[in-house]
Amino acid sequence: MPEKQLDCTRAAGEHQKSWFARLREDVFQKQRPYAIIQADMPFELFHVMDVPVVSNQWWASIIAAKRLSGHYLDMLNSMGFHNGLCRYCSLAAASTLAEDPERAPWGGLPKPALLSARLTCDCLQRVFAIWAEAFGSECVFLDNPGATELPVRWWELSRRRWRELFEEHRLEFTVIQFRNLIKALERITGRQFQIDRLRERMERVNRQEEYFDEARHVIYAAPKTPVRMHEQVTNVMAAQWERGSDWAVQHARAFRDEIKNRAIQGVAACPGERVRLMWVGAGLWHDTDFYTAFEEEFGAVFVWSMYLAFGPDGYIRYGLDDPLLALASRTVSMNEQLHNPPWANEWIVHQAKLNRIDAALVLTPLGTRPAATGNRFIERALEQAGIPVLPVVADMVDARDWDPDAMRRKVSEFLEHRVLPPIPNARRHVS
Amino acid sequence: MRPSKMTNSEFTAELKNTADPVERLARHYENPAAEARSAASGKTPVVGITSNTVPWELVRAAGAFPFIINTGNADCPDICMYMEEGVFEQRIRAIFGAAISGDLGYLSLLLIPRTSEQEYKLYLYLREVARQDPARRIPPLYLYDMLHTRSPESYSYGLQRTLRLKERLQDLTGRTVEDAALIRAVVESNSARASIRRLLRLRRRGPRLTGAEALALIGASFFVDRHEYACLADRAAALMEDRNPLAGKRLLITGSSLNHRGLHRALEKHEAVVVAEDDWWGSRSAGGDIDCGTGDPLKAIFEKYYFDAPSPRVFPFEIADAWFQEESADGIDGVVFYLPPEDCVAGWDYPRRRRYLDKRGIPHLLVRENAGSVSEECHAVIEKFVRGIGRGR
Repeated sequence: MPEKQLDCTRAAGEHQKSWFARLREDVFQKQRPYAIIQADMPFELFHVMDVPVVSNQWWASIIAAKRLSGHYLDMLNSMGFHNGLCRYCSLAAASTLAEDPERAPWGGLPKPALLSARLTCDCLQRVFAIWAEAFGSECVFLDNPGATELPVRWWELSRRRWRELFEEHRLEFTVIQFRNLIKALERITGRQFQIDRLRERMERVNRQEEYFDEARHVIYAAPKTPVRMHEQVTNVMAAQWERGSDWAVQHARAFRDEIKNRAIQGVAACPGERVRLMWVGAGLWHDTDFYTAFEEEFGAVFVWSMYLAFGPDGYIRYGLDDPLLALASRTVSMNEQLHNPPWANEWIVHQAKLNRIDAALVLTPLGTRPAATGNRFIERALEQAGIPVLPVVADMVDARDWDPDAMRRKVSEFLEHRVLPPIPNARRHVS
Repeated sequence: MRPSKMTNSEFTAELKNTADPVERLARHYENPAAEARSAASGKTPVVGITSNTVPWELVRAAGAFPFIINTGNADCPDICMYMEEGVFEQRIRAIFGAAISGDLGYLSLLLIPRTSEQEYKLYLYLREVARQDPARRIPPLYLYDMLHTRSPESYSYGLQRTLRLKERLQDLTGRTVEDAALIRAVVESNSARASIRRLLRLRRRGPRLTGAEALALIGASFFVDRHEYACLADRAAALMEDRNPLAGKRLLITGSSLNHRGLHRALEKHEAVVVAEDDWWGSRSAGGDIDCGTGDPLKAIFEKYYFDAPSPRVFPFEIADAWFQEESADGIDGVVFYLPPEDCVAGWDYPRRRRYLDKRGIPHLLVRENAGSVSEECHAVIEKFVRGIGRGR
């Protein structure tokens, strides 16, 4: 595991572990309902109904970090699911199908009251239905209307002009689906949904994302990054999975404060920083050491990933008179914003310029094809902006085909041949 | 069979000399864009469609020529500039290649439905290439966003999207789509469906035609005027009814969609007859008729495509599997699962469907190769499978 430089990072890790232990206790001993949901779901609806949620992708990342993905994916293949199927979204399901809680991280996932996913690819209804059947749990799906209005600089509209950005018919359709989901949550909890609670939660999410917005400003304004990318991810995602909770808002503020103090004191995550790297795509959860592997030799530091940057641009919504509609706007285009043209390529180039990125590594996960789309557009756009790109064909959770030494050599060669020669460019950051 | 991609004039000349309806339909199948190009050169607006969930009748009633795109340009060198290797199906890559290379420049509209998520991505990709490189002759694009989940809200959303499509088509052709025109188009397409069903009946018990023949005869319906198609298909069926039944083991194919005859030919080399395929290119192309008796033809047309068009996005499993379960248990000797290396969807259905077959003692075989070029090794496996299964279940 890479070094933890921030107090916040340790706090985030401890919080997640104790949160999950409490969840298991609540579920097993108090029969409290909880839900397993896809990462792009409207978590806020679950939170305001007091239904804790486990994100499918978070659990997959835990399994991968514990080096258990190979075991579960082999087991999935032995059940007849071939090895070309998506792994990121199915790894957590595989850990349930294995029926081996002793081996699973932290005792494994208890039976949820509900599973739910947005249908952003053709596999998800299949994976979640198989998973729900294994648990004997209810499953609710939200269909995903397609975007046809695609103004390029979406991040300039998303906070205040989200009604026009995300198309009225898509938002209305999504709200109707939210109402169905709310009915399911009311049935499960025996509680009534309160729109004012949602509005308050959304306001707190805004506050949390504003802290993250300040944090990213600190990072790109500092001569050298005060926080490494992987620590950004740990802190941001611990808060995002329960966005708007008291803990999450406080943690976002503490994170901002800590890196702000580091920046003021001139503390750099890597004092020898010469090259600023961008990681495009989901995290490489099975080999997080990779992200610090090029610091010593090349002064190459990963300073950016989507996880921190997307919070402010993707989540903040002002004008909460209709919080369900605002929440729909936060939910309905995440896939387009993060992965597909024109939104992903334009946003990532914009971020690269803000963050004075010298080179980018773009993950193409063939084992998770929906997350692999849009990458050529992103790579071309970065190259056209003068930022060298190394495509990385690998899976974010499956280490079976990952050769850590070979990949480190490949990145080293990339840095030597395409990134380091233009010394004046690298010096710019030092000055 | 003549090689495909003849020029328009060569194709028309050939066709005039071909009286045999079976041969004529097969030639349409092998030259899927010929009629469309001919219509375009006659100044009829041509609407290219990427798969089966677009209401053909609506395009027809608007005065345009609708056809499914089954040619492509998979060799276009620029594809790899934009599309990730191994992420998209071959057919989608080929359509993308055709669009960015200008091969689809004769289309007045490229209509892309939400049959699959890959088609939505195709739409986004093409829009972006058009934005970044306006010099490319990419036709105007339209996303027909009919969703496939079975819920009242998806139904209403789909109906609204169908109304928007109608408006777009009216703008395209300058012709108001009246109910009378919709009903005429429905009559025409229903006649084609009836002819397809007649062909399908000839495939089941005591099959009179091979699967490879059937795929061409049925598939031609996507590329030609449907009135003409119905006439040809009826004549073809009448001829085939007099044939002796084929003796091979009767197979059903399920899994990924097959827009070519490679797998059918490979299976039928080994004394099998493909009598059905769980695929909109074959046995599931027609489905039921559209009933305009309710007085709202647009709604009736929408409902046909919403409720009766196969798509990988149809859910839940009970609905998605219904056709497969019924057909595979109806006099089939064996089932072939086709999951090519590019598959990332149908593979999720394989263990469940395999269990269904195992419970009923129905033999099955998994093919994981690209059926466009079946290896000798795969041929050997097929031969062994066909030889090993019983006949006449």
